[in-house]
Amino acid sequence: MHMPRREFLKTTGAGVAAAAALRGRAWAQAKPIRIGYTLSATGPYSVGAGITQAPGYALWADLVNAKGGLAVKGAGRRPIEYVAIDDRSEIETAVRFYEKLMGDDKVDLILPPWGTAMNFAVAPIANKYGYPMIGPTVSSNKLKELSFPYFYAILQQPDACMGAFTGYLKDLKAQGKVSKVGVAYVNDLFGIEMHSSLTATLKNTGLELVDTKSYPLGVKDLSPVLKGFKSAGVDVFLGLTYPPDNILAASQAKEVDFNPAVYMAAVGTAFPFYRDRFKGAEGVSGIAGWNPRMKYPGAREYYEAHVKKHQKEPDRWASAFAYASLQIMERCVGEVGLDRKRIKEMIDATEFQTVAGPIKFVKGVNVTTPGMVGQWQKGEFEIVWPKSIATATAVVPKPAWA
Amino acid sequence: MSAALLFDILVTGLITGGIYALVALGLNLQYGLMRVLNVAHGEFVMLGAYATYSLHTDWGANPLLTLLVTGPAAFTAGLVIHRLLYARVLAQAEAREALESRSLLLSFGLLFVLQNAALLIWSADLKGYSYLGTPLRVLGAVFPANRVLAAVVALGLSVGFYVYLQRSLTGKAIRALMDEPEGARLVGVNLTRLHGVCFGLGVAMAAVTGSLISMLFELTPFIGLPYTVTALVVVILGGLGNVVGSLLGALLLGVVETAGVYLVSSDIRLISSYAVLSLILILKPSGIFGR
Repeated sequence: MHMPRREFLKTTGAGVAAAAALRGRAWAQAKPIRIGYTLSATGPYSVGAGITQAPGYALWADLVNAKGGLAVKGAGRRPIEYVAIDDRSEIETAVRFYEKLMGDDKVDLILPPWGTAMNFAVAPIANKYGYPMIGPTVSSNKLKELSFPYFYAILQQPDACMGAFTGYLKDLKAQGKVSKVGVAYVNDLFGIEMHSSLTATLKNTGLELVDTKSYPLGVKDLSPVLKGFKSAGVDVFLGLTYPPDNILAASQAKEVDFNPAVYMAAVGTAFPFYRDRFKGAEGVSGIAGWNPRMKYPGAREYYEAHVKKHQKEPDRWASAFAYASLQIMERCVGEVGLDRKRIKEMIDATEFQTVAGPIKFVKGVNVTTPGMVGQWQKGEFEIVWPKSIATATAVVPKPAWA
Repeated sequence: MSAALLFDILVTGLITGGIYALVALGLNLQYGLMRVLNVAHGEFVMLGAYATYSLHTDWGANPLLTLLVTGPAAFTAGLVIHRLLYARVLAQAEAREALESRSLLLSFGLLFVLQNAALLIWSADLKGYSYLGTPLRVLGAVFPANRVLAAVVALGLSVGFYVYLQRSLTGKAIRALMDEPEGARLVGVNLTRLHGVCFGLGVAMAAVTGSLISMLFELTPFIGLPYTVTALVVVILGGLGNVVGSLLGALLLGVVETAGVYLVSSDIRLISSYAVLSLILILKPSGIFGR
């Protein structure tokens, strides 16, 4: 059989390349790193999980595997293989699956589920089996009371969040811009804890707490609360809210013509969805932690990769922390391997540089990231407090609802 | 209590109750008339809401006008579902109890199928839009314009349906079936056909309610169940198979809930509605307007 030299070279060249690629892959795939977790793809938690955590997990695995896998100290790169299920927003389903992951399957690492309640339920199991778990969607003062050495909370906790809120308000009060506060909080663990942190820090600000109202999760009408605040002359609305009622509160504030100088709401305000839903939501403020304009190494690249892969933006509070927790895992595995006790020791002792800034844990809680206040301004959730890391100046009073 | 507050409570209560009325009427048609306990009722509310959301955001349709699409489409879907699923169960059931339990299981299955279908199509992300999100001032009180509109349409449809039952031949046949199932069949009422129509109407009412509430709330595939529960409370409150009872029961429930929210706290809404239900079940189990 005659084959032109050029053709021969092309064919064999491709063959050699393919063989090399195959060998590389076969070698890498012989021992993937198995990482287990559950996230809520259905049920009430799926909204938050689908915005804050799931996109980060998928993006990280993609980027790491594109480099040939996760670098393990002394063992080269090994591809990431997720062992995951939908926990249907049921805590008992998540608990059973994590028990199986660590007790029977003996996966290499685990990642946390979404939400404070879920993490509370899974943390003791992770601790029992000695798996380090860094929760990016946990905010609770009760963490300090519990002692789970293998559990880490990377997000700002209620005291920090509410401390930032009141610091911001105190500053505005000193400028004579606000005076009367109305608080509405969702009557579950999150709202109750945020509320108690808030009332503790609000005391010495000189602001008058005019009215406090609680409401149940899944509330269908907040207009009575908002009308009450309006007639009491409230100029600072503080909503310690979750996503569905957060949207309801903003829609109804507009509908009952309530436009206080400061309108702040907790979970959900930092979602890009919120901005789009309210035509820019100009001037609305809330709990913040991150935006792509922050000058942390990799922050902009993370933002762009996220948008490219998922065709949606990360949120401006916890998404980046979810990704940062993966970066921390990546660095630890690269430096100490898959020995989970040594990973834990490294997490305890190191200050990590992440897309969400420097992070250092003390007694399982991230002590580096301060509480922050964000405000939607022309499409970006600008950090307006504390001033040391602000990306813009606050706009007070807030403009009328669009 | 000032007259202004009383007025505010009353109107807000009637707004809430008006929406309850339509969704409860739909369930009453199915449960009261056929003993088909359709726990997937709320899922049709959810689907109607998503349909309006998509028609509005993707096609620019006026949300109110989408009722002309979602209503008939849901009615047709209801007829088909009844024909394919419930008619068989109805034909096979020997006794009323068997019918109730089998239709309950069937509708549970339907609930999961519909929920997951919505999850596939619209995902779990919150979806919503703003429509008529402006204040409406009446006698010094402020009400959200979109809620007033939704309640007025819902009440209008409910009253219209009541008139239809009173005047039209099909309406009379439905009433006959509610009052005296055996007698109605003796005079030639076609049971299966009429059941299909009632099921379709029930689904249509749920879907139209959904179209209306999509103007007010954010949507997820899981918003349906609370509507089923509220509808069930209203149906029991007003009496099984009693159309006027459902209407008045819904308005009463709306006002009681709102009064609780205004005078005590938002946390009391569920407590007050279940307190009313418990009272009725103890004092008059056939419902306020039941016989």
